[in-house]
Amino acid sequence: MKSWLILLGGFIVWTVHFFGLYLIAEFAPSATLVIALTILCIIADLWLLRWLRAMACSEAFAQWRRSVGMAGAVLSLLAVLWQGLPVMLA
Amino acid sequence: MRSETGFDPYLYQRFPTQEERPPEEEEGLRRIWCAPKGWEYLTVVNNNYVGIFYLGTAFLFFLLAGVLALLMRVQLAAPLMEVLPQATYNQVFTMHGTVMMFLFAVPMVEAAGVLLLPQMLAARDLPFPRLSAYAFWAYAVGGLAFFASLFVGLAPDGGWFMYPPYTSKAYSPGINADFWLLGIGFIEISAIAGAIEIIVGVLRTRAPGMSLDKMPIFAWAMLVFAVMIIIAFPSVILATLLLEIERAFNWSFFDAARGGDPVLWQHLFWFFGHPEVYIIFLPAAGMMSMIIPTVARTELVGYRLIVLAMIATGFISFGVWAHHMFTVGLPPMTTGFFSAASMAVSLPAGIQVFSWIATLAIGRPRFNAPGLFVLGSIVIFVTGGLTGVMVALVPFDWQAHDTYFIVAHLHYVLIGGMVFPLFAAMYYWIPMVSSRAMSERLAKWVFGLMFTGMNVAFMPMHLAGLMGMPRRVYTYLPGSGWDMLNLISTVGAFLFAFGVLLFLIDLARNFRMAPGGGNAGNVYGAGSLEWLPTELYSTRSIPVVKSREPLWDDPKISDDVEQGRYFLPRSATGLRETIVTSPLLAEPQYVQIMPGPSVWPLVAAIFTAFFFLALTVQAYMFGLASGVITVMAMLRWLSETDRPIAQDEVDIGAGIMVPTYMTGPRSHGWWAMVILMIVMAMISAMAMFGLAFLWSNQPGFWTPPASLGGGIPIALGYGLVVAAAVSCRWLHRMGKNWAVAPVLLAGLAAPLLTWLDIRMWSAVLAPDASGQGAAVFAILSLQGTVAAIGVLFAAYLGWRSLRGLITPTGNSTLDLACLFIGYCGAQGLVGTIFTRAVGA
Ligand code: HEM
Ligand SMILES: [Cu+2]
Repeated sequence: MKSWLILLGGFIVWTVHFFGLYLIAEFAPSATLVIALTILCIIADLWLLRWLRAMACSEAFAQWRRSVGMAGAVLSLLAVLWQGLPVMLA
Repeated sequence: MRSETGFDPYLYQRFPTQEERPPEEEEGLRRIWCAPKGWEYLTVVNNNYVGIFYLGTAFLFFLLAGVLALLMRVQLAAPLMEVLPQATYNQVFTMHGTVMMFLFAVPMVEAAGVLLLPQMLAARDLPFPRLSAYAFWAYAVGGLAFFASLFVGLAPDGGWFMYPPYTSKAYSPGINADFWLLGIGFIEISAIAGAIEIIVGVLRTRAPGMSLDKMPIFAWAMLVFAVMIIIAFPSVILATLLLEIERAFNWSFFDAARGGDPVLWQHLFWFFGHPEVYIIFLPAAGMMSMIIPTVARTELVGYRLIVLAMIATGFISFGVWAHHMFTVGLPPMTTGFFSAASMAVSLPAGIQVFSWIATLAIGRPRFNAPGLFVLGSIVIFVTGGLTGVMVALVPFDWQAHDTYFIVAHLHYVLIGGMVFPLFAAMYYWIPMVSSRAMSERLAKWVFGLMFTGMNVAFMPMHLAGLMGMPRRVYTYLPGSGWDMLNLISTVGAFLFAFGVLLFLIDLARNFRMAPGGGNAGNVYGAGSLEWLPTELYSTRSIPVVKSREPLWDDPKISDDVEQGRYFLPRSATGLRETIVTSPLLAEPQYVQIMPGPSVWPLVAAIFTAFFFLALTVQAYMFGLASGVITVMAMLRWLSETDRPIAQDEVDIGAGIMVPTYMTGPRSHGWWAMVILMIVMAMISAMAMFGLAFLWSNQPGFWTPPASLGGGIPIALGYGLVVAAAVSCRWLHRMGKNWAVAPVLLAGLAAPLLTWLDIRMWSAVLAPDASGQGAAVFAILSLQGTVAAIGVLFAAYLGWRSLRGLITPTGNSTLDLACLFIGYCGAQGLVGTIFTRAVGA
């Protein structure tokens, strides 16, 4: 379980964000909600990054797992920002 | 992490073993995994055969749909041609698109998985060989019947995405649309069966030591592919079901005049339809990532990035579906972020393309047949990707939507992203299953014709589209400036077809099926495990994997494997078996006994197909009979599995002992059941989304739902069903044999609860009264279906426990029945509350 969380953590945050955005727009359109969700997801990604950076890894697999997780979190951070942009700019 | 399961990795150092293996071991393997003769070809379940049948059938559909494409191009070659009348043209483009997407692209890559994965992972077979056989036969019989509708003029004609209201009873009164809805709904079931097989196969039957970071890229691609199928296909299954119910019983899901909404169809369809594109692309990309290192004779650049990109593609492709709906009139906020997401989705694809280019650049690439197709694929796919970013821009899409620009775009992506990689793959892997490789000389011609033909056919369509030519028109007037462009496109299509024809000729000359030994072998000098010497039992022994390219890093590995110096050099139990390993580090956990050939998957598949066909032509009695036979055949097939085995533990090599039986969350059966539950949960979630969607878009049609107070006792009842299922497993493990009883009761009680709920709702609302009524009763009907399957499970469990086949240690069937019945209760509980909460 922990391994999957590390590997997929960033992606899960990203998923929560884009489905959240869709649900907000479909059922309760509001820019405030979008911005709030975006900030929450950014915090989640940053927290993930910190957690992974502090994680000690000696075995090859653990290192691999961590590096995939960190890259995923960075990707997710960018994506969340990018997808929040249209609303934040409007 | 040193060990995942407590297995000591030092044990791997005992391999390769040194002592001689007795010769009768290999004979035993050969006898147990023997080749079929005559009629037995119909009952084979071995992936070597099923995989090839599967591939062959899918390729046949490529050819059939290709012929339809040529017909269309002839009709469009000049203005006012009279080759295909308008109504026929509509059927032809619908069938072309549908067959290419559903009967060629997805099954083709799924088939490649069935054929290649066990070899790449060095397993003896995938974990559920009979399920593969069922998936294949269901698809083959159903697909051919579906295609045949064209010959009697009853083929669907609503386009490959079948938008209502055009496809509703009012505007499409014939049974053409029903063929599509039932046919495709059914074929998706087969795709899901295959996906379950692939997920469990990739995660649980890898060679010992093949941790996730050493897994071949193709296996990663297939894993993401299969997970995407599990998430995406339920949506289209539900959509086809709803539209079919609307047509048959007049429940108004999509009829705006009665509180339905046609846009709901679009959401449900594209929630599947966009991921579908990546479902097709990812496995092909996985093949590219396997072929390119071999062609370039160097390691793949950026393995980690590619894995990441594949996972990213999997996730984000679920967040962009509405870009197919920019012209529908979505809320501006939705349009904004779907546009942003659609641009972002090109990033992961870009990462993969750059990795491939980098690998080719630093290696010493050879431009042999696979090499050429790989290169062609990159060029074509990138072109399609560029026009993809263009149409992700909303204002541009408003112009290009429904024109030939889109036709050009989608073919660049599909042909570059899937067809060319597929041809590369066929050249590359045919030596693995045929005693002769394909002709390199002819391949140059095949490639030249296909590459030129593709560009000549589709490049001009961009222009025709920008000049205003709409898609899906059977002809056009002279003088609109499209004549020349269309003529060129037609010439291109025929060039492409000649390329494919040459390929067929080559295939006829050189392809000699050799699924066991005697194949042409590793002619390209690849490094991954599928190139170990194999027979029908796959490799003689299952190697310990220490790197991503074991054949490059350990030159002796082929010989050691062949001499039986690794795991499982014999059949330890005298039955078909493979090693099940842990999902992350692939540590050996137990030996799985695999079922042998059987006629029941075939029977079940044929009658499932009959069942759906009978519904289409409204032969309900015949349908019922077929349904009953299907269920009987499946029970019969199941009853032969999960049998006690004489030895509790066996030596899988070098004195390492593992159990021969496993129950609970570590067993492969449990994994498959959990995945099936995810499928059902997705269907149910999508149905609930439908209800909420109608409520928010058609509030004028809402009536107050049935009272929450009345629903609570029902919800509690469902809660008890869950509790019974959970406690039954627990009690049974403590040695209480009577614990089977409560779950049997729970299984029988669930449909009663559903019936009560239906009665309560009937007092408030009729299913054909409004969109709300339709959606609520759809949720109830789904619950009823799940509950009915639960009854079957309970009956099967009861039968097995009467026969004494359920023991405190041999209780897989009990576990699975508890899981299913527990799930049924949980879904009922959520549904009962949810239907009453929306709009209360
Ligand atoms: C050389 C090969 C091919 C040719 C000449 C061709 C030709 C065409 C043409 C002319 C149309 C447009 C029909 C219209 O809008 O009136 C079309 C539509 C389509 N094609 Fe192809 N095609 C080829 C290969 C493929 C492949 C390999 C795939 C998928 C793997 C594919 C998938 C589709 C789809 C999904 C549509 C849309 C159908 C619809 O509008 O409902 N095609 N094709
Ligand atoms: Cu799309």
